[in-house]
Amino acid sequence: MLSVIRKLADGLIALSAAIGALGLIVEVIILLADVIGRAFGAPIYGSQDMITMTMVIVVFGAMALCDREGGHISVDLFERSYPALLNRLIDIFSAVLGAVIFVGIAYAVNESAKLSVMLNLSTNLLRLPKAWFQNGLSIFALLTAAGMALRAIELTLSGRDIRKGDTAKGDTA
Amino acid sequence: MSASMIGFIGILVMFALLILRVPVALTMFSVGFVGITILDSSRSAMSLLASETFTLASSPELVVIPLFILMGNVASATGMSRKLYDAAYAVIGQLRGGLASATVIGCGGFAALSGSSVASALTMGKVALGQMDRFKYNTKLSTGVVAAGGTLGILIPPSTGFVIFAILTEQSIGRLFLAGVLPGIMLLLLFILVITVICWFRPEFGPAGPATSWRNKGKALLGAGPIVSVILLTIGGIYSGLFSPVEASAVGAGVVILVGFFTRTLSVKALWLAARDSVVTTATVMLILIAAHMINPFMALSHIPTAVGELLSGMGLGVTGTLILILAIYLVLGCFLEGFAMLVLTLPIFFPIIMALGIDPIWFGVLTVLTLEMGLISPPVGINVFIVKSVAPNVPLGDIFRGVLPFWLMMVLAVALLMFFPQIVLFLPNTMLG
Amino acid sequence: EELKFASFTPPFHTINASVIEKLNADLSAATNGDLTVRGYHGGELGAGPAEQYIRVLQGAADMSWGLPGYTSSQFGKTMISELPGAIPEDMPGYEALWRAYDKHLSQEFPGTKPLALWTSEPNIFIMRNKVIRTPADLAGLKIRVAGTTAAEVAKALGATPVQMPASQIYNAMQTGLIDGVITGASTLTDFKLDEVADALTLGAPLGRLAFYTVLNRGTYDGLSKDQKAALDAASGAGLSKSAEDAWLETATAALKIARADSANKVIELTDAEKASFAEAVSGVVEAYVDSVDGAATQAAMQGK
Ligand code: NA
Ligand code: NA
Repeated sequence: MLSVIRKLADGLIALSAAIGALGLIVEVIILLADVIGRAFGAPIYGSQDMITMTMVIVVFGAMALCDREGGHISVDLFERSYPALLNRLIDIFSAVLGAVIFVGIAYAVNESAKLSVMLNLSTNLLRLPKAWFQNGLSIFALLTAAGMALRAIELTLSGRDIRKGDTAKGDTA
Repeated sequence: MSASMIGFIGILVMFALLILRVPVALTMFSVGFVGITILDSSRSAMSLLASETFTLASSPELVVIPLFILMGNVASATGMSRKLYDAAYAVIGQLRGGLASATVIGCGGFAALSGSSVASALTMGKVALGQMDRFKYNTKLSTGVVAAGGTLGILIPPSTGFVIFAILTEQSIGRLFLAGVLPGIMLLLLFILVITVICWFRPEFGPAGPATSWRNKGKALLGAGPIVSVILLTIGGIYSGLFSPVEASAVGAGVVILVGFFTRTLSVKALWLAARDSVVTTATVMLILIAAHMINPFMALSHIPTAVGELLSGMGLGVTGTLILILAIYLVLGCFLEGFAMLVLTLPIFFPIIMALGIDPIWFGVLTVLTLEMGLISPPVGINVFIVKSVAPNVPLGDIFRGVLPFWLMMVLAVALLMFFPQIVLFLPNTMLG
Repeated sequence: EELKFASFTPPFHTINASVIEKLNADLSAATNGDLTVRGYHGGELGAGPAEQYIRVLQGAADMSWGLPGYTSSQFGKTMISELPGAIPEDMPGYEALWRAYDKHLSQEFPGTKPLALWTSEPNIFIMRNKVIRTPADLAGLKIRVAGTTAAEVAKALGATPVQMPASQIYNAMQTGLIDGVITGASTLTDFKLDEVADALTLGAPLGRLAFYTVLNRGTYDGLSKDQKAALDAASGAGLSKSAEDAWLETATAALKIARADSANKVIELTDAEKASFAEAVSGVVEAYVDSVDGAATQAAMQGK
């Protein structure tokens, strides 16, 4: 059961990161086209609108994968001097805390998105609705939270730390 | 309980959670959120959580972070970084620690195109760390060099640190930029000095390579041509007004990608993997920056900076005493606050005290930015150390902090030198701008 | 009770004395220190000027100030006041805004109580290495713009509009990435543009910037009757005038410094020269007013 959920989660996490990576390539293209166009007197209209909104996808797209691969940094100065049980408890606590925080981010940003709709907020030149990107951020954050919650369950039930698996590049020292 | 007391307890809790290995970003989110809830309301904390997250994630300035990471990743994937270090190795590899010194010089060069220390440490980390590994350099030394060398990003112009200082204090940006040049070069030389000393006593930290013929040196230098051209082109593009320092990150990444495709050293798949790896690193870095911004309103609501300012102006210390005390406060604050957040919180309070004592504001600005750099690499919240950790996940954080220590001491020495010889700061702006 | 006023600028900015400290002084005096205002400067209560309105609406701060231009889609009709020639040059902007407020603008400020609405000094050309006398002088020049209408104005004048954050203008002007900006003279000191600009052109109809100071509606409703009365008395046209006058003073002082510097070329357009600019941008003004269905709003602002 748990392994089925893990497979599904990993699929979604990979998809979400792919969207982020695509966003990054798009950023490069927009900025380059803007710089070149400007040199010839024809910059891209609303380039800053596109760049800043795409940035949201770039920053949050791989957030879940970042956690999956153990990318979120902690101060590991005393890790080796703690007993194994304490380390496991800390890992579980951190995963739960992370899930709570990301649900909080998703909820808070979603509340703001409702206000953005009410206030008709959009980017200044291209009129891209702010709520789209806020909702996108919320979805990425929820996926991150789900990944963290799943990790907490795995750590509790089976002691398996997905971050230290074969594909993980996390700190195994 | 007073607001300041709650702020103080918040800092202690933050330290405790960090020592307990709770991820840095999660720690700062929790402490900031709970602190704001206690000092104001949960409504306010929720609102700040939403606005800080979205504002930073859509910041037109921070777009340099993913783009420079991509540039570094692609430079590594195409072998450009390898060739750059082959060249450096051929030229100064026979000296102990030669590659570490070359990396510091590289950091200085990169600082001339990047206004941000984070971006400098990220890009140089992506380019340099794997290469120094290849030549058997000790990871304490290599990560320390990149974390410390990256801080040159805000001392050597262009610098986001000086821009923020200038706008918060009504000082001249141009004057501050010029004032940072000589101290930047001085610090760079001090870093090279300390590398040489370390490797003199511990040759295994930066093993000397074999001597190479002039012919081989020339060949290796030629191989580094593409990446060196990209860097020179990018710096040239900024200073000739073709693009902004922010856009330079995209130009750098774009040109490296195009060169990679053109020389057939980059496949579409390799680019995709580099982009995917870049967004993962971006997530690490940006989450820490966002979380650091949750601490800022908490500290503002605790009124700790105001209390410290009142205490300071009531003490009636002289010029040197006040200056040393302020820099000491920055050092302590730098242990748990993000650098720019610290400027926003403290400068409005400290700067009037500085002006009242007749202290040169430009001199103070450079000292402040230098102290800020020390905060970037001092534990437990050393943003640049975290950055390097995100690039070198297998190196324990403790090793990076230990590796950074000698460089941190050089910064103390640099602060002392600038205190005794303000001319180092003021010479360029005074001669060039009158 | 202490009300939190979030500001994104440093404490010495014009807003502090003219609005934040004034509100604090007036409210303290009227309520015997029962109701006070504390400023949180430089973005201490959250970064980014674009989020100021939301910050108040959600209650992260009780009050804040901002520019409708940062989130122009919210302030379609309020933005009319920024258009070139939309309000007669000699008419104070705050008067125009308040005249239109009840009937035309109030729906653009949901969940808050505007305490002050005002406009800036007139926009001018702030240029480097380029001297502007006629619209033709702008042909092909790269001009930094903040929003849609400014972009349309720049285009109508034959310039290439370039978008960039305010913090990057200095560097962009220095390196020649942009040739100049269209904005108020106060940016000469606020953003240090006086260091990089060397030519100013005054008098062209380029519009102005609008500003608001708002209070959270819930905060207002939670005040006692006396506190509400004090707040009503301390806000509105009086506070707006204080802000607008202070903005004009800052701009006048910045211009005085700029004129005193012999390295600067300061050009005052003649009436005939002004007219050629007015003609070039008139289409933009009409098109914008039409797009927000704002003819009645504009008439109200003009007092017609
Ligand atoms: Na720099
Ligand atoms: Na630190």
